[in-house]
Amino acid sequence: MFCYGGNILKVDLTTGEGIKKPLDEKVALRYLGGDGFGAYFMNKIVNPKVDAFSPDNALIIAPGLFVGSGVPTGGKTAFFSKSALNGGWNESVMGGQIGLALKQAGYDVLIIEGKSDKLSYLLIDDNNVLIKSAEHLQGNTTRETAEKIKKDEGDFIVASIGIAGENLVRFASIDCEERQAGRGGMGAVMGSKNLKAIAVRGNNDIKIAKPDKMYRLIEKYYEIMINHPSFNDDGKYGTGEFLEWMNNERGTFPTRNWREGVFDGRKEIDPYYWAPRYAIKNKGCLQCTKPCGKAFVMKEFKGAIDGIEYETLFSLGSNCGIEKVEYVAKANEICDLYGIDTISAGGVVGFAMDLYENGVIGKDDLGLEIKFGDGEALLEILKKIAYRDGIGDILANGVRIASQKIGKGAEKYAVHVRGMEPPAYDVRGIKGMALAFMSSPRGACHLRSGAYALELTGKFWKYEGVDRLSSENKGKEIADMENFMAVYDALGVCKFSRGIFLLNFDEMLEASIGKKMGEDELLFIGERICNLKHIFNIKAGWKKEDCKLPDKIHIPIPEGVSKGSYVSREEEEKMLLDYFNARGWDKNGIPTRKKLEELGIKEFIE
Amino acid sequence: MYVKAIPEKCCGCLFCETVCSLWHWNVINKYKSGIRVHKKSVIEDIPSVCSHGNLCNFECIEACKFDAMKKKNGTVYVDYKNCTGCRACEKACPLNAVWIHEKKAYKCDLCGGDPQCVKFCSQNALVMEV
Ligand code: SF4
Ligand code: SF4
Ligand code: SF4
Repeated sequence: MFCYGGNILKVDLTTGEGIKKPLDEKVALRYLGGDGFGAYFMNKIVNPKVDAFSPDNALIIAPGLFVGSGVPTGGKTAFFSKSALNGGWNESVMGGQIGLALKQAGYDVLIIEGKSDKLSYLLIDDNNVLIKSAEHLQGNTTRETAEKIKKDEGDFIVASIGIAGENLVRFASIDCEERQAGRGGMGAVMGSKNLKAIAVRGNNDIKIAKPDKMYRLIEKYYEIMINHPSFNDDGKYGTGEFLEWMNNERGTFPTRNWREGVFDGRKEIDPYYWAPRYAIKNKGCLQCTKPCGKAFVMKEFKGAIDGIEYETLFSLGSNCGIEKVEYVAKANEICDLYGIDTISAGGVVGFAMDLYENGVIGKDDLGLEIKFGDGEALLEILKKIAYRDGIGDILANGVRIASQKIGKGAEKYAVHVRGMEPPAYDVRGIKGMALAFMSSPRGACHLRSGAYALELTGKFWKYEGVDRLSSENKGKEIADMENFMAVYDALGVCKFSRGIFLLNFDEMLEASIGKKMGEDELLFIGERICNLKHIFNIKAGWKKEDCKLPDKIHIPIPEGVSKGSYVSREEEEKMLLDYFNARGWDKNGIPTRKKLEELGIKEFIE
Repeated sequence: MYVKAIPEKCCGCLFCETVCSLWHWNVINKYKSGIRVHKKSVIEDIPSVCSHGNLCNFECIEACKFDAMKKKNGTVYVDYKNCTGCRACEKACPLNAVWIHEKKAYKCDLCGGDPQCVKFCSQNALVMEV
């Protein structure tokens, strides 16, 4: 098979056994790679009923189809597991190099099950698979862990967890070469398996079906990308480039734990302020030709930092009322080194600040004062979370569980959907995204649909004239966008290229795997993948009632151009039913038999 | 003529490795690329590529006992029928610009005068020096 590694590797950490099996070509063509393989193998292998931290939960890693093909920005690898935040489906996609190493080692899917009896790391060197002691790495940061393993083992690509993953912080991340699989506590699942790191080296060729054609396509898209307006904007200012626009023109930049949709103190967290001062160069994901990452150095803090993304400027910035970018940078750094998802981290700290300012918790509970805007408090709480120290032990569970433990009405300050803290889109003024938060298989998420750009600008792909303040006709739009994005996550293509490629992958598929697939065929696969994730969730106990929006989304935005906008409970219900209908699911959100037959996945419910 | 790397601009995307191996060998394999990028720290991505004698003294040619490292029109290249993979060149090169993969040496050959890595480096971190 062209452009595939050709095998599946299953490692049981309990027994120490590794089994290599060939990848079934039919499965490859039905699911493509990445997200598709995750959907397939999670359903085949993981018992949806087990606890996320049970040895029977699996951690699955699958490079996208285009990883190692040369397709520009096609270097993404996806991680899958049961979510540590809600026990349902979880996935997280990153641009680190581990997927390429796995493919060169001959694997399209790595399945890790069981639990090691002591802290270990997994070493994969083509056919040699070893589980080695990582006791000397206990408590090390993600970066130290990778550096030490490379020093001992050689030219390996390392994915590692920090202290937060070891301590089962429910929103712990996995780091690979400064790229993170952040969301949903994938790092905690790794920690629950006593797995500190995964180190991979692959020596084999990735064969390309039509190398000349691939070369010409690379040439073509490289030109398009470096001449695209986003090349300069993202290159200069990174993903936070549109912060000011989001704040001023749309009024949907969530602020102070979702009290406001505009942040008055944003001046210095805007990349137009800090990038020219501190950024020293761009950083890109594997195989990217229009990098949006930034590396920068601040004399205030020792060392250099890889970050800060738009989402983080919200979570560790506006959501905590932080006005100094230096604090956001430092907090970002703590999150990356301790292995914490920055979005949830800021959600949790903003929540705690809100509770404090509203008198729900006091200095005695916290051990310190934590007002909005207090950068030192932000850093302190993050460390407490990573070490599960004091209040950090409660906050380390995410806002949903933390609010239940705290009681005293804390629930109404907990901003989450299905236990996951949301990213930087105040959906009170972006109603399609409110639906996307509810329908996403992993909880509040902007990436499964990627519909924010469509909603905020009104047009994308086949959609035009979309009104972000209306809750009408959102079901089909979000379902379509989810199918669209599932294709991107299966192919491993960066979502920031969606305006460039749309679904025109037939030539690139022909060049890489030797088979053309047009938009309709790809969307059908995307729909199949989305339905399979949902089936997993239903088996894990998903209920329609769990998809509720947080209370704060029912309160009108107080200021800015979206002033007065909110999502009512009726709209919430209407959009969800509209979505189920568009998906061919019944009014409780259960897929109909007919739909599953049509998609050829009936076997998964039998 | 050689490819000069400017690490201060390199973003670590490895696109150079990808196109190099595709162009020369019709496959993707970072170990068959004539350029390798190693990350030394968060801000240091260091491309290693041959200077064809401009920043070195042809140590690889000197070290090779099998007449596998050759020079033609200012370009140092591997003569694969002679290369035994003995690693002498790898050890000798002061720029870490040659490596052994499956008993063969791999290094930059300047793509016949149109270096692909330079052509596809979005950050202009690689430039042709004449
Ligand atoms: S555009 Fe940004 S996110 Fe996308 S692949 Fe490039 S560096 Fe990664
Ligand atoms: S293509 Fe350029 S920016 Fe990318 S890794 Fe190579 S030298 Fe660095
Ligand atoms: S491989 Fe090394 S020693 Fe040989 S010519 Fe190139 S830079 Fe000089």
